[in-house]
This record gives sequence, C-alpha cells and structure tokens, in this order.
Amino acid sequence: MNLVWLLVVPLLGGALAWPLGRLYPLLARLVCLAALGLDLGICIPLLKSPSPGNWLAGFNAPWIPAFGMSFRLDMDGMSWLLTVLTLILGMFSIVVSWKEIQDGVGFFHANLMWSLAGTIGVFVALDMFLFFYFWELMLVPMYFVIAIWGHENRRRAAIKFFLFTQGSGLLILISILALAFFYQRQTGVLSFDYFALLKTPPSGAFGFLFMLGLFVAFLVKLAGFPVHIWLPETHTEAPTAGSVILASILLKTGAYGLLRFVVPLAPQAAHAIAPVAMWLGVASIFYGAVLAYCQSDFKKLVAYTSISHMGFILIGVFVCNTLAWQGVVFLLIAHGLSTGALFIVVGSVQHRLHTRDFDKMGGMWTDLPKLSSFGTFFILAAMGLPGLGNFVGEFLILRGTYAVAPVVAIAAAVGLIPAALYSLIAIQRAFHGPADAARSQPDFGLRENTMMLALAAAIIWLGVYPQPVLDIAAPALKNLDSLP
Amino acid sequence: MTLPAPPLLVLAAAIAALLAAITIRRSFFWSAAITAAGLLGALAVIPWALQAPVAAPESLGFVGLILAASLVILVIAYPYWRPCTIVPREEFLLLLLLATLGACALAGANNFITLFLGLETMTLAMIGMIAYPRYRGQAEEAGLKYLVLSGMSSGFVLFGIGFIQLSCGSLAFAQALAAPGSPMMMAGLAMLGVGAGFKLSVVPFHFWVPDVYAGAPAPSGAYVAVVAKIAVLALLLRVLALPGAGFSTGAVHAATAVAILSMLIGNLLALMQDNLKRVLGYSSIAHLGYLLVAILAEGAIAHVAVVFYLVTYAITMAGAFGVIAVLSNADAPRDMDKIADLRGMFWTRPGLAAVMTLMLLSLAGIPPAIGFIAKMYIMAAGIHTDLWVLIATMVASSVIGLFYYLNIIIVMAQKAEATGTVAGISLPGRVTMAAVGFAVIGFGVAPQPLISLLRSVFG
Repeated sequence: MNLVWLLVVPLLGGALAWPLGRLYPLLARLVCLAALGLDLGICIPLLKSPSPGNWLAGFNAPWIPAFGMSFRLDMDGMSWLLTVLTLILGMFSIVVSWKEIQDGVGFFHANLMWSLAGTIGVFVALDMFLFFYFWELMLVPMYFVIAIWGHENRRRAAIKFFLFTQGSGLLILISILALAFFYQRQTGVLSFDYFALLKTPPSGAFGFLFMLGLFVAFLVKLAGFPVHIWLPETHTEAPTAGSVILASILLKTGAYGLLRFVVPLAPQAAHAIAPVAMWLGVASIFYGAVLAYCQSDFKKLVAYTSISHMGFILIGVFVCNTLAWQGVVFLLIAHGLSTGALFIVVGSVQHRLHTRDFDKMGGMWTDLPKLSSFGTFFILAAMGLPGLGNFVGEFLILRGTYAVAPVVAIAAAVGLIPAALYSLIAIQRAFHGPADAARSQPDFGLRENTMMLALAAAIIWLGVYPQPVLDIAAPALKNLDSLP
Repeated sequence: MTLPAPPLLVLAAAIAALLAAITIRRSFFWSAAITAAGLLGALAVIPWALQAPVAAPESLGFVGLILAASLVILVIAYPYWRPCTIVPREEFLLLLLLATLGACALAGANNFITLFLGLETMTLAMIGMIAYPRYRGQAEEAGLKYLVLSGMSSGFVLFGIGFIQLSCGSLAFAQALAAPGSPMMMAGLAMLGVGAGFKLSVVPFHFWVPDVYAGAPAPSGAYVAVVAKIAVLALLLRVLALPGAGFSTGAVHAATAVAILSMLIGNLLALMQDNLKRVLGYSSIAHLGYLLVAILAEGAIAHVAVVFYLVTYAITMAGAFGVIAVLSNADAPRDMDKIADLRGMFWTRPGLAAVMTLMLLSLAGIPPAIGFIAKMYIMAAGIHTDLWVLIATMVASSVIGLFYYLNIIIVMAQKAEATGTVAGISLPGRVTMAAVGFAVIGFGVAPQPLISLLRSVFG
C-alpha cells in the first residue's frame, strides 16, 4: 500500500497546486515541496522493511482483468535508488523554478508533479501494461512544461520530444502485447505480469523481434546514438526545471527499461545484440563528446555530454555482469546529480545574463565567483574526476567491460579524453578570460548556494564512500541475473 | 430476431407529442424537455425490452448507445440554440428526434426495407439539421452537399438491394446471406459496400466530410460525426455476425486497402487545416480506418474492441464538438471553430481547455484518456490475428496524427491577446462538458466496468 501512496501523494499535490497557483503562487510551490517531502518520508523507511527475497515492498490488485492486467507495483533496491533520486531532483526542480517561473505557476507545478508521479510509476510498476501506462503518462506533462515555459524554439522542441518518445512508445506497446499473447499460447492464460512473463522467455526470430522493439524504444529514451536526435534541442529549449527532470530522471527510465525488461525478459536475444549495443555505446561516447566540444551554447554542451555518458550506461547494461551493472546504477545516480546541478548552473547563468552563448560569457569568475566555482566543480564531476561520483560509476563499468570485451573497454576509456577536452573548454570559455561586457548581476544567494552545496556534498559523498549505494543495489541486481 | 420495437415506439410517440406541443404553443424549453423525455424514455424501456423472449441484445445495445449519444448532443444543442432569434428553434429538436428514430431503426434492421427506411429517415432529417441556420451560407452549402452525395449513396444502396432481391428472392438479411453467391449477388453487396463507405466516410468516399463538418452548426456536426456512424457500424457489425456472413478474400483485400488509406490520408490531410471542425472531420476518417482494423481482426477480443472503440469515439467526438458548441451560439455568423479562436484558452477558461485537452489526448490515444485503452484494444486485436501491415500503418499514422492534436493543445496554451470579456458558459454546458471529461478520464484509468458492460451486451 505504501507504494500506492508513493504515487498518489505527488498526483494529489499536483492537482492541489493547480487551483492554488491561481490565487497564491507561493502556496502552490510549498504544497509541491511538502508533497515531495512526504513522499520521501514514505519512500526512505521502505529500505528497512523486512520483506522476503530481494523485494522491499509490493502491491498487487486486479486492474483490467479482461486482459489479465493488474495494478502490480514492486520495489527493489534499484527502484528504490531511482525513486529517491527522482524525489530529490524533483524538489530541486521546484526550488530552481522559484524565481524563473512566474506565469501560470499552478499549472507548471501540477505538470511537474504529474510527470514525477509518472516517473515513479515507471520505476515501480511490474505489470508490463501498467509500466507502459506510466511510461506514457510521464510524457504529456513534460510536453506541457517544454511547450509553455520553454525558451525560443520551445514549440518545435516539444513536438519533436513528444513524437520521438510516443513513436517509440508504440513499439513498446506492440512488443508487450505480442509477448503477452505469446505467453497465452504457451500457458493458456493472458497475463502482463512481469514475473509470469519471465517464465517463458521467447526465443528465435520472435524473441529477437520482441527484444528489438523494446531495445529501440529504450534506446530512444536513453538518447543513444543514432536515435539521440531529439535530445539536444529538447534539453536546450526546456526551462531549467524541465531540463533537470529530463536529463537527470527521464533519461534514466530508458536505462532502467533496458536493465529491468530487455535483459531478463529476452536473455538470448539480448545476448545476441550485445556487441552491437556496446559499439553503439562507444559511438555515443565519442559522438556526444565531440559534439559537446563544438557547441557555443552552454546548455547544448551539457545536453551533448548526457549523450556521451549514456554511452557508458549502454555498454554497462549489455556487458551483463554484476560489476558493470553496479557501475550502471551508480552512474545513473551520479549523472543525475551532476548533470542536474549543471543545468541549474546554466539556468542561473541564463537568468542573469539572458544568454546561453559562450561568446557573451567569459570572465564570470571575477563577477560571479560562487556561481563560477560551483560550475567548475560540477563540470569536473561530470568529466569523471576521481574522488567524485561519476568516476566510480565509469570505473566500475570499464572494469566490468574489460572482463568481457576488452576492445570495447579500451575504446570507451579513450572516450574519456574528449570528455576532458569539452569540460576544460567549457570552463575556460564560460568562467575565465576577459568579460564580454560589464555586468552587475548578483551572485548566488542563499537559495542557490544551499542547493549547490547539497548537490556538491552528495557528489563528493558518492565519490568517496560509494559502498552504501552499491550495497543497496547489489541484491536488486541479482534479480536480473538470469543469463546463461 | 425482431426490431427493437419498444424504444422505437417511445421515440415515435415523443415525435407526435413534440409536434402537438409546437402546434399548441412554441416554447423552446418545453420542446427540449419533451425531446429529452422521449430519449430518456426510450433508454428506460431497453432493460425491459431485453427481458422479452425474442430480444436481440446486440441491436438493443446499439440502440442504447445511439440514444445516449443523442441525449448528449441534445444537451449540447440546447444552450447553442437558446439565444437564437432568427429562425424558429423548436423544429431542430424535431429533426433530432426524427434522425434518432431513423438511426435506431437502421441499427436494428433485419431486413433491407427496414434498412432503407431507417437510412433515409436518418439522412433526410440530418440534412435539415445541417442546413438549419439558413442565414449562414456555409450551412446551406454543407446541407446541399450532403443532400447530393447522400442521395447518390442511397441510390447505390437501393440499386444493391434490388440486385440482391433479384438474385435470392428475399429481402431478409438471413436469407440473402444464406443464398449461394452469384455475380449479381456480389454486385449487390459491392454496391451496399459503397453506400456504407459513404456513410462511414472512409477513403475513397470521404470527400464530403470536411466541408459538411465545417459548414454544419456544431451540434449537427456532432450528430453527423457520432450518431450516424454508430448506426451504420451497428448494422455492419450485426450483419457480419450473422451465419454465412464474413469477408471473402477479395473483400478482405479491399477493406485492408480502405483501412490503410483512411488512416494515412485522414491524418495527413488533417495536418494542413486551420479549422477545428475540419480537423475533427479528417481525424474521424482516420478513426474509422482504425475501426476497420478491429473489424478485420477476428476473435472475441476484436469483437469487443470494435464496440469499445466505437463508444470511445462517440464520447470523444461529442466532447470535442461540444467544446466548439459551448463556445459558439447560433446567432453568430459562424461558430468559434478556427483553431486560432482557441488561443489562450488555458488561461481564460482553464476548465474547458482541460476538457478539450483530454478529448484531443483521447483522439490521439494517450493516457490517461480512454482513447489510449481503445487504441490498445484494437492493437491487441490486430496483433492477436497477426495483421502486421495494418498495425504498422496504425502506428505510423498515429504518430502523424500527434502533430495536429499537439498543435491545437499548444495554441490553447499560448498567451492570449487581450480579448476583453470572457462570455460565461451556461450551466447545462458546464455540466455536460464536465461529465464528458470525467467519463474520458474515468474510463481511461479504470476501463474494466465499461469492458464488462460491453462484454455482457455484445460479447
């Protein structure tokens, strides 16, 4: 039942914020923060709950019995980590909108909350159709956030985002329907239950096509090369809160889908496509890094770095050993925090300078020392500086990969060199050098400093003492280990 | 198997009562009350009619659907026509009752004569409804267009009936279907197919749709889009369920082609429209294409899928036309049906904008709207019978469709220019829109009750 509340609280919070925002905008923001805080309060104790097996909590009720669809929610360590990440970054995205969003405050926060609720649903739903339902549900509010509160080209970006994710979503729908009917032919029962479907892994051509449908859809969501094309524009045009959620949370649903569904449900086919997937990952690493290096738009640079990082994730998922999977889960969290923080920094720059163009920045370290130092810190974190969170994730993935495919591991490791290039060029162009024009903007205030310090502390903690996160993820990853 | 007689009798009595009432004293309120009472009464006798030993639950189910849809359209039409002073308003309701009578007869027909009488009663009354605001040139043009084209399709139907009667010597469906297939029989059935294609507005018989939808006043447009389609599809489904019926190989190929073309052409042409009613018109062409997928699929899932989709389509289309209707009134020279008219609605009328968004999401097949479940149902039916080409087309065309649905939502979310005062919406309008909105989201979140109901009636 706790898991149901986990979904209901943000939904209700959003529904409450909409009318409130028309009268008292401040109250709407506070209600949303309180709802997410309450949700965190529900979520965190679940870790201690004594539950059999590797599952922390569960809920199961019939939903559409005509199709054997149930309202089945289950949470293991991986879902728990991603849910907590979602809630924490959700709170950050509300705080970051405090000054940025002044029009339609209620509707904005309603959309934000509903999108978060949909995402949490994706992380805990273990009925395939329910999963897909939440998968679609998280898109519409995010579409509104981009289309209404985004920057100059918001309309185009929003439609592009929606078409790509919706189109790939239909692939998921077809795949899961086909799998359910396949299961029905084997057992005589129509069911979309994840645990039931695990028992009849499809093989041969059908298994491969089923896997391919899911793989392509999740690859689009993960923004892996060559289906990443929606990402740069969408992440750039979204308002800061939207970019934070898109990059830090929504991208993760693609990785989650690959780990939770593609690998266990069709192990043979996943094994067959693994080399292709790994090389696509290597291509993503290089492509994202090189394009990030070429950008003159700060926000776009950050967006392209996500493509690069998701390349590591893609490799790690298809290496299929526990070490790499540990790295994947860890990198998902670390990337969520560091990229979210970077988008907040870029958003603050834009709020002050009204531009995202590097040519009009420069010299910010003298005017805005706090902003610049935090910015530098998070860029270095994203680059994978040892001692910070991302390094641990990338290292684990590379280590796991080397055992299985040393050539891929070497190629991916070489990809860290362009990462250093784009990081350093960004620091140099944005914060160093002479200022483009005289500026008299205030530096980070209390609200922004607190956010930045919290995120920085979390990233340092992850980098220095990663063991607790690995311990939470470890039993969950055993659930996935059904490969020969 | 007999006609669904009790509801038809109630409707006929309501028509007589309405005629008498108008003769005694013209009152739009009381006329509407009599109309509503007639529709409700006809709905109320359905459970009783189901008890009869010779009841046909399927036709009664479709009749119920038609009556409910007509009732919704009546509630939309009432505030739309109330302020009108240019033409007498009461006869519109008479036409609505008459068309509903025809639709019910059509949906329950077992015999070609009933079929033709029902079809003509419905069509002729609808022409009157379309051209009712005769001071609008557009409406007159739409009425005339519909008259000519539906006259032609009626000609096809009548010719087809003649062929069939000639080749098997009977006007009853059951006998005609049991008769051995002869070339003349095939020709007759093909002509009936053309007639049905016109009424269902599938490609290549779709040319009248956008003009008629755009020219007709919003409540009449809703009627043409919803009730007429339910009635014709009801007949089609019932006939296909009779023993000996079914598509021949050639017919399957033809229907597949029609379905593919309808899905693609409907959605592609909708991309270029700036008028909401035209968008809905083209979108309805595409939706009929989706419905054909379910009709072509076989098995128990497909059977319920068609009806589920039909119900979804009816609720959603009525809701979308209803939004136009509550924004417009009959006295104005045109309806508020330009997409640009909706600009900024999210900020001026958030409730109505939310309902419209739900309708568009439902048409696009996105949760939490009911259209998502309906689309899933059709896809399930299609995948179950391995109709991969149709499913692939459906996926491609629904992605195309997203473009224009999303575009309307974006226009509603844009900042409004200062438009001055915002006219209030009447209470019945508000209640109906809220009810439709809740139905769309409620059945979208928990579709099981609706599925169970449809299974018990149509399964």
